[in-house]
Amino acid sequence: MFKQKTTEQIKAATRKTESGSHAFYNNPKYRAVIYQTLLIAGLAYFFYTIIGNTLGNLEAAGIKSGFGFLGNAAGYDVLMSLIPFESTDSYLRVFIVGFLNTILVSILGIVLATLLGFIFGVMYFSRNWLIKKVSVVYVETFRNIPLLLQILFWYSAVLATLPGVRDSLSLGEAIFLNVRGLFIPKLVGQDGSTLVYVAIAIAIVAIFVMKSWAKKRQDETGQQFPLLYASLGIFFGLPLLATLVAGIPFVVDYPVLQGFGFRGGITVIPELMALTIALSVYTGAFIAEAVRAGIQAVPHGQTEAARSIGLKEGKIMSLIIVPQAMRVIVPLLNSEYQSLVKNSTLAAAIAYPDLFNVFVGTALNQTGQAIETIFMAIIVYFAVNMFISFVMNRFNRNVELVGR
Amino acid sequence: MANTFKSDPIEFKPAVAQPAPDSTVGIVAWMRVNLFSSIPNAMFTIFIMLGLANFIPGIIDWMFISSTWSGVNQDACVGDGACWVFVKAWSQQFFYGSYATDQIWRVNLSLILLFVVIVLSFTLPASYRLKVSVPLFLVLPFVCIAILDGRLLGLEHVNTDFWGGFSLNVLMAAAAIIVAFPFSFLWALGRRSDMPLARSISVVFIEFFRGVPVLALFFMGSVMLPLFFAEGTNVDKLVRVWIVLIFFMSGYMAEVFRGGFQAIPSGQYEAADSIGLGYWQKTLLIILPQVIKVSMPNILATFVMLFKNTVFLLIIGIPEVLQTLLTALSNSNWLGGHAIEGYVFVGVIFWVCCFGMSMLASNIEKKLDTSHRN
Repeated sequence: MFKQKTTEQIKAATRKTESGSHAFYNNPKYRAVIYQTLLIAGLAYFFYTIIGNTLGNLEAAGIKSGFGFLGNAAGYDVLMSLIPFESTDSYLRVFIVGFLNTILVSILGIVLATLLGFIFGVMYFSRNWLIKKVSVVYVETFRNIPLLLQILFWYSAVLATLPGVRDSLSLGEAIFLNVRGLFIPKLVGQDGSTLVYVAIAIAIVAIFVMKSWAKKRQDETGQQFPLLYASLGIFFGLPLLATLVAGIPFVVDYPVLQGFGFRGGITVIPELMALTIALSVYTGAFIAEAVRAGIQAVPHGQTEAARSIGLKEGKIMSLIIVPQAMRVIVPLLNSEYQSLVKNSTLAAAIAYPDLFNVFVGTALNQTGQAIETIFMAIIVYFAVNMFISFVMNRFNRNVELVGR
Repeated sequence: MANTFKSDPIEFKPAVAQPAPDSTVGIVAWMRVNLFSSIPNAMFTIFIMLGLANFIPGIIDWMFISSTWSGVNQDACVGDGACWVFVKAWSQQFFYGSYATDQIWRVNLSLILLFVVIVLSFTLPASYRLKVSVPLFLVLPFVCIAILDGRLLGLEHVNTDFWGGFSLNVLMAAAAIIVAFPFSFLWALGRRSDMPLARSISVVFIEFFRGVPVLALFFMGSVMLPLFFAEGTNVDKLVRVWIVLIFFMSGYMAEVFRGGFQAIPSGQYEAADSIGLGYWQKTLLIILPQVIKVSMPNILATFVMLFKNTVFLLIIGIPEVLQTLLTALSNSNWLGGHAIEGYVFVGVIFWVCCFGMSMLASNIEKKLDTSHRN
């Protein structure tokens, strides 16, 4: 009797809950709606206030908002430009010049940082105690010192102590290094140089075709093809052949000392050198750490298994360890490259004319268009980083573990 | 017969152990294995040794032997070596900025408070550690501001223009990460939430602050932020930078916490559900303590990044340590080219702090790592 009554009670209680006699605000569905409505209302109020304030402030300061200023003449010169630029050109042109300079330093930085990172990362696994320690010291020193300090150090403590123009350090009277920068010879294409450029393009395509053919052949017959040597041969051989066929259509433009400076050749300004060195040394330390983590993430059993089936040490590295390590390394590389691009904005400290410096720095000061300039710059950095992310994700798909 | 065995046992006497062969012990053997194991290895070793022999004596000579340590001004530096007098003369500026000399105890007090709170959070008994140290941490930045500013406590008012030096770097980084903590936790929860709007807002926020260069954020703080406030409001420069750092930090930390949340086994969530805990009880009492524990190495790594980034403040003209150094280098009494000494000094300070924290992080990581790899 008693027992039955209890069950009844429980059932009744349960029914009560199920029928929803509880307050509606205890229902997670309604709750979510309420919370999100409140959130949106709060955000809307926040943006309404700041937009209102901003418009009021801009009006008070007499600044006309909008992108109309882009067409105006900039009126200032830019230290270094990859495309022709004069101070009478528009702010839009300044934007493009800055963008190209940012891209230039980013590409140089990424290439050099990757090289340094992989060299020092692999050096950590050397059996030579000294080499290993060199790698450790490199990583721990440059990773733990602020990048800005390193940029300033290279710029004003190292490059500023180089000899003057008259006593420049020179290498074979072709490459000069002095306090004004690095001067290197330039190849100038004459008639017929198009053939060489076409040859380079053909070589690149040929390497990709050869790669897929070799893979197909190996899948079918098991025969391996010396891909690396063949690609190197094509990449250097074909353009060389084209150069000879076209009768060497290049003239070397050497830098020559004239008056107080050098003329001709390519000039690498010290700002660019300092920024590139600092960025690549700093990011290289992080990449070395990533490479080390990647190689360490491969269980030692993999090496042992590879040895037990009789692979040579070099093959173990290239066929067993590296492909597995890349799975860890590539996502880390992705974020390191992105932070390198973002860090290139520190050019402002040494007046290298990157996008941030010439556009957000100078243009903002002259026009007062804070929101527009910062917005445009941010969009560019987002776009560049998304591009890097896209490329690295494509690459990552190649090295990823394929689930079957 | 049985007795003979007893009375005359055959004693086993092991031969005296031979010493290990000379080729496997001692410094020579160590060098043979680690430095000269093969011909290329030996060549590398000799090459590096030669390089070191070329540079190290010169550096040591410059830093210690022919350097000048005593004196008050530039005239004392006559040798070829480093002029440490420069660093000595400017050391108060490097550490405390232009803070009035008789008020420096207030900066020291703030630093000591920070240190005490950190030590307490590690040493208090586990039963009430979180309950005490979390409120202490959250109150700390405001107490420090009150001490440094002085108006609230009836001390002499020191304008923020005079705050500076390395202590500003430390306090700024600490204040930013402490306030960013609860925010980042909320953003991470938002990103994991089932509510689509809350989730997308969190994602946009986090990705914005992670994707934008820090320098752009500082420019926004110094140029755009004043536009956002009502006309006539004048917000202090340091407060604006503080706000920027908090947002920047909470974007990064939210991702650290998200990783932490993912590392907690789903059994923990289910167990909390099964004993009838509500959402906030479950999150704050069961999940959060575990998340903080597993993310500790990453939190430290993020803090190191933030700490290094505080030197970026110089670009918007705040007198942190590097800005002070640049001021010192351009001072007319010290135009002797002391750039290397200055950069080495500031670099070493940062290096010691950051390296210490990364060591701490990797120690915690090792302690937490209970896997059996390798």
